[in-house]
Amino acid sequence: MGDGDREGDASRVAHGGSRLTFDIYLVGVGGQGILTIGEIIATAGFRKGIPVNFYPIKGMAQRGGFVRAQLRMGRETVGPSIPEKGADLIVATEVSETLKAVRYIKPGRDGVGYNVILFGSVWAPTAVMLGKAPYPSLEQVTEHVQAAGGTLLYIAPEGLPTYKGAPVPDNIYVLGVALSQTRLSKILDAADVADVVKSRWKRGAERNLFAFEAGLKTQARIGVTTAV
Amino acid sequence: MTGNEALALGALHAGIKVAAGYPGTPSTRALESLMLLNPPGVHIEWSTNEKVAFEIALGAAWAGHRALCTMKMSGLNVAYDSLISAAYSGTVGGLVIYVADDPGVSAGMAEQDSRGFAQMSDLPMIEPTSAAEAYRLVQTAFEVSEQASTPVFIRLVTSTASSFAPVQVRDDNGVDAKRNTGPLNRKPVLIRDINKFTKAGAAICLAQHRDLIARLDKAGHIMDDMGLNQLQLAPEAGGVGIVACGVVASYIKEGLEVTSRSGLDPKSVSVLRVTAVHPFLARAAQELLRHCNSIVILEELEPYIERGFYVQAQRMGYQGKLLGKVSGLFERVGEYGLRHVVQGISAATGISIPADAFQGNAEAEKLAAARPITVCAGCPHRGTFMAINTAIRKAGFKKDDVMVTGDIGCTILGMNPPFNTVWNELSMGASIGLAQGFAYSGLKTPVIATIGDSTFFHAGLPALANVIQHQVPITIVIMDNGWTSMTGMQFNAGTSEAFQQPGSRTLDIAKIVPAMGVDQFFVIDPFDLDYAAETIQKAIKLPGVKVVLARQECVIPARRRGLQAGRIRVIAENCNLCKLCITITGCPAISLGANTIVIDADQCYGCNLCGAVCNRDAIEIEMGDRDG
Repeated sequence: MGDGDREGDASRVAHGGSRLTFDIYLVGVGGQGILTIGEIIATAGFRKGIPVNFYPIKGMAQRGGFVRAQLRMGRETVGPSIPEKGADLIVATEVSETLKAVRYIKPGRDGVGYNVILFGSVWAPTAVMLGKAPYPSLEQVTEHVQAAGGTLLYIAPEGLPTYKGAPVPDNIYVLGVALSQTRLSKILDAADVADVVKSRWKRGAERNLFAFEAGLKTQARIGVTTAV
Repeated sequence: MTGNEALALGALHAGIKVAAGYPGTPSTRALESLMLLNPPGVHIEWSTNEKVAFEIALGAAWAGHRALCTMKMSGLNVAYDSLISAAYSGTVGGLVIYVADDPGVSAGMAEQDSRGFAQMSDLPMIEPTSAAEAYRLVQTAFEVSEQASTPVFIRLVTSTASSFAPVQVRDDNGVDAKRNTGPLNRKPVLIRDINKFTKAGAAICLAQHRDLIARLDKAGHIMDDMGLNQLQLAPEAGGVGIVACGVVASYIKEGLEVTSRSGLDPKSVSVLRVTAVHPFLARAAQELLRHCNSIVILEELEPYIERGFYVQAQRMGYQGKLLGKVSGLFERVGEYGLRHVVQGISAATGISIPADAFQGNAEAEKLAAARPITVCAGCPHRGTFMAINTAIRKAGFKKDDVMVTGDIGCTILGMNPPFNTVWNELSMGASIGLAQGFAYSGLKTPVIATIGDSTFFHAGLPALANVIQHQVPITIVIMDNGWTSMTGMQFNAGTSEAFQQPGSRTLDIAKIVPAMGVDQFFVIDPFDLDYAAETIQKAIKLPGVKVVLARQECVIPARRRGLQAGRIRVIAENCNLCKLCITITGCPAISLGANTIVIDADQCYGCNLCGAVCNRDAIEIEMGDRDG
């Protein structure tokens, strides 16, 4: 493990050189745009000639329900579901939902960047809001992520940059962070992903591109693994 | 593209003339994507239900054309009555039935394994492993269908139907260069042959049964010759054999990688990938049995292929091990993944593989906040559930004494808090018949049935006819939001024709129900809570058959067209944070602020149901498009 698992010799030859596999597990709630993150990465991979399988599951969720997606890159033949302990990267956009990805964390090595990104928004279900049901604390989430071998990069929603006075789209910002802070950057170039972001929206491309680039530049500002 | 889209495009490139279906996750996107392509000369429709869709496809196929019908596994139950007769008759043009199963249940309903229907009806079934195979094999299915004169099933599961993956396709987008010679350009044929196309009398039916069995046999030979099942034998005999069906085959390579780290030589493993699900292709199975000392059968849900192996093993006097569900290694519940491949190989070889190589810790997710699914902000069903609850209370009954039967679709969300209105869910249209049974059970309290518009057209109409005929004293609440919403806004018979395909006509439930003979018929607006509750209260107190039509468009398409029912404002000085608006509506747009409730303007549609329950005049509305 470590730098991703290499495919067999045959596929390396077939694609002219060394190739990596990279699996991303995305979790959040409906309305946060995690499927958009997945689609953009999948498109960038596809344009680069990397085999990609993108498996979104939203079930009956409209806004506010559990949504997950699995992105598997680099294998010609691949099962749609990421095995447990198999995800090179977890992207979570809601604190509690992060817990549902914990068993998919591939235990990482120190010093190779983060393998869990959490954009720390909280979507409290009604029962939680009324104090009738528990909601996990960020400390609990952090502990479970670390126990599973995850290196957590926490992004505070309050710290979201603004563009023309309004906060940037958080999902695209998170995508930028993923491209600068994780090993996803070994698979995809930020410029290629930026191209997909640009071509995806007719209107609002500038705003999204700003969000993406702000995410890319966050490196210095976040610094610590768990800004709890 | 997704497996659904690949399958649909493959069917288009195979020259279909007609495609019909009924929406159902995870199959919906197949037909939907065809509709978006809108190919010239091809008729594509959402039909009233799956049985109707199947009959339409069959009619076109009996006239010599190629036709596709699409459905989820539940829909196959509905279509089956016609399907079994069609199996007896066979087909003229190619007829392919696409059914999507949902192992692991991503969308609700039974974990039904539709391969059983292929066995029951003696129809061939093909199961692609991936989106790319779905594109290719649906075309193969049409070939098999025409060569063996039989309808053919093609089956996907959620993970293959919903996954986006690269697919190599012909790039003419369905506009066939060879169009003038392709199947789409066939002249229709009319074949009068009562021995083939009717079922009148034992002589006809018994002969057709023999023909059916012969057609399946022929299809089996064709599929075997096409090499649909791929067998790779290890150079040396005596090793492990893996049999993988459908999507499970795509995990084998990874499984061998994991197990080779524990000392397995991948070259010692033989693999049979089963794509021809039915009939059981014995030749490859026999070769595998002759070659391997132990065989692992990997198939989601029911052990159909595994049982086929037991039959062959018995015939051949096989002495080795067969491992799967019958042997107790795997259970018949849930989706398969890498774990099953690894466990299977481990059991077959005796190589022990540490569980932590493939199993994570599931403890963390037990702490995750429960997230019961609810209706959207601005959903008209919210008002109907609230009105039913209020009506029951004001009519002097306890909620736990009044049966409210539920149905399929978004209307079932009334089962969850804060409404807790609906008690049960069975199948499309079942709420009405179920309510009739409850009414006959000797209850002294009212019985209410709830049903959506698409569900009402799908299978509610016959049940309503029955209620009227037998004059059953129940109240049926039809929640008409004008769309088939749960599956993502498809149109149905009741959808405004302005949004439908050109030439469609809207059926008006408000005209149908009285015309059927319901004298006590009421129409309510679910956003007008007081009137809605009063009306339902009145209805449940009346004798005889009562139907309440709750009418307001689904918020999602309404908002897509830029509509806004109103603008809500919280009057801070009046709000004392009593939370009544949250506890009664459960609206996701409302949250608690420091001193007042906060309404998210982005989510709020201005239905004003929160305003209707606020008793401190803290919520104000400025009316919008709804009354305009």
